[in-house]
Amino acid sequence: MDKEKLLVPEELCNLLPEKYRGKILPAGMDTGKRLELYIDPEDIQVVMNALKEGGYNHFLGITVIDYPSENIFELVYLVSSIDRGGELFAVRTKVKRDEPVISTISHIYPLAYYQEIEAYEFFGVIFDGHDGLRKWILEDNWEGPPPLRKDIDTRRIVLELYYSGKRYERPIQWRSLSKKTEEERKEE
Amino acid sequence: MSGKSITVFLGPQHPGAPGNVAFKLLVDGERVLDIELIPGFLHRGFEKMMEYRRWDMDLVMSPRICVEDPDHVELTFTHALEQIYGIEPPEKAKYLRVIIAEFSRLASHLLWLMHFAGPIAARYAVSWAIAAREEVLKWFDYITGHRIYHHYIFPGGVRWDIPKDFREYTLKVVKRIKPLIKDIEKGFFKHPVFIKRARDLGRLKASDAIRLGATGPTLRGSGVAYDLRKALKYDAYGEIDFEIPKGEYGDSYDRAMVRLREMYISLEIIEQAVKKMPLEGPYRWRLPISIPQGEGIGRVESARGEFIAHIVSAPKNPMGKPLSPYRIKFRGPTMAHLTTVLKHIVVHEEITVADLPVLIGSFDPCPPDIDR
Repeated sequence: MDKEKLLVPEELCNLLPEKYRGKILPAGMDTGKRLELYIDPEDIQVVMNALKEGGYNHFLGITVIDYPSENIFELVYLVSSIDRGGELFAVRTKVKRDEPVISTISHIYPLAYYQEIEAYEFFGVIFDGHDGLRKWILEDNWEGPPPLRKDIDTRRIVLELYYSGKRYERPIQWRSLSKKTEEERKEE
Repeated sequence: MSGKSITVFLGPQHPGAPGNVAFKLLVDGERVLDIELIPGFLHRGFEKMMEYRRWDMDLVMSPRICVEDPDHVELTFTHALEQIYGIEPPEKAKYLRVIIAEFSRLASHLLWLMHFAGPIAARYAVSWAIAAREEVLKWFDYITGHRIYHHYIFPGGVRWDIPKDFREYTLKVVKRIKPLIKDIEKGFFKHPVFIKRARDLGRLKASDAIRLGATGPTLRGSGVAYDLRKALKYDAYGEIDFEIPKGEYGDSYDRAMVRLREMYISLEIIEQAVKKMPLEGPYRWRLPISIPQGEGIGRVESARGEFIAHIVSAPKNPMGKPLSPYRIKFRGPTMAHLTTVLKHIVVHEEITVADLPVLIGSFDPCPPDIDR
């Protein structure tokens, strides 16, 4: 595991809008070593176009992280560069949770088309300009709000919808488990 | 060709469909004009379930995401967790992980012949491959105590220490498997029926493969020598000398031959790792059960391509469950292969319904990693 940090490629900085120059930061370690850039959601298409031109031609995926207390969805776009030995680049942006709209990048990276459908059905993020937002993995499987949102208790919905409200599992022993470990740690 | 196109559904019960996945085809006579993936038959909600559970429970759940190649999912999950903890496993565990991962790749490639040789009607190759895979499973049973899901790779190292005759036994197994794969090569990969069915079927140019997000043997079959084992040198791969096989034309034949070469290369890597690994020393660091705050991205080269686990650990979990991760996202290689890549090939090439299972089989899909 080398601890050296990734260098920021200069030609990429020149392609990016001026306000993001010098904002690219190295982060992570081991296989998760990456360059990170925080952007405003309006600039997603410009930044992704610049990244593609700058050699980051391999799209990997979109991770959506839900923070209900701050009323935001954080979107992390992961792209890598095959020419530069698989270097990872993470573009991070935040959209409002009650109005989660961001422009699509499916015309820049074809795989994003399907990743955006996934983000739509699991989190309800709407991608402006995307022509096929629908239930895809969850088709005929799920009736209810987007299930991966933090404030959705999927277990309660499943019990009500499919098991007519009856409990269908052994009692959960969360509290006792966590307490035990706390006590054990104190003893140690 | 009648000029009238109709919609036909293929799978998930169809023997040509690779596992729990269906396709919606637009056909004109025998020719497939367009294809659309219908996933979701195996959606178990792993990402949400993992938010409810402790991370060591999640680790046990993670190999269930891809049955055929379980250890790589475990490995990528472990890499992500180790980044959050900020630790490095002991030297011995690094080599053990390489050996486990390569045996898992070998078992997966042998099982792939079921999807690929089956549609070509070479059932004998399937049984030979299953017989060779049995040797791998016996080895897994001996080392880890399990045949399919091993739960062997663990944050901080590996779960168990090795038995005393580990080196001799592993080298013996490698010796036993090599002739079995050679038999399959002679009987199937040099058979004129296989060559005629697979040559020139589903050509994929290198530039298209990169653009569409293909990874693993599918990308290497198109002539891009890109392998995360070499690029990132994770675990002990930096110490091991091996080549990256690549194809020339990017057709189904090239993809199949890349997988065949990889089986031999896996055995070579195992031999090297077994000889180089230290037999003494610690195999695992004990970690505290409560997970620190942070973020980790594990990336590994699985049998099918790039597998990513993105884990976020936040201090306050609104579900009220301590000790569990805030968000986990898995990215499997199959989604790109069955959506963008397959659609690109079907639209740009004349594919018949009879050729479709062979083409799909050449990507070695594992639909559960789309559904999760």
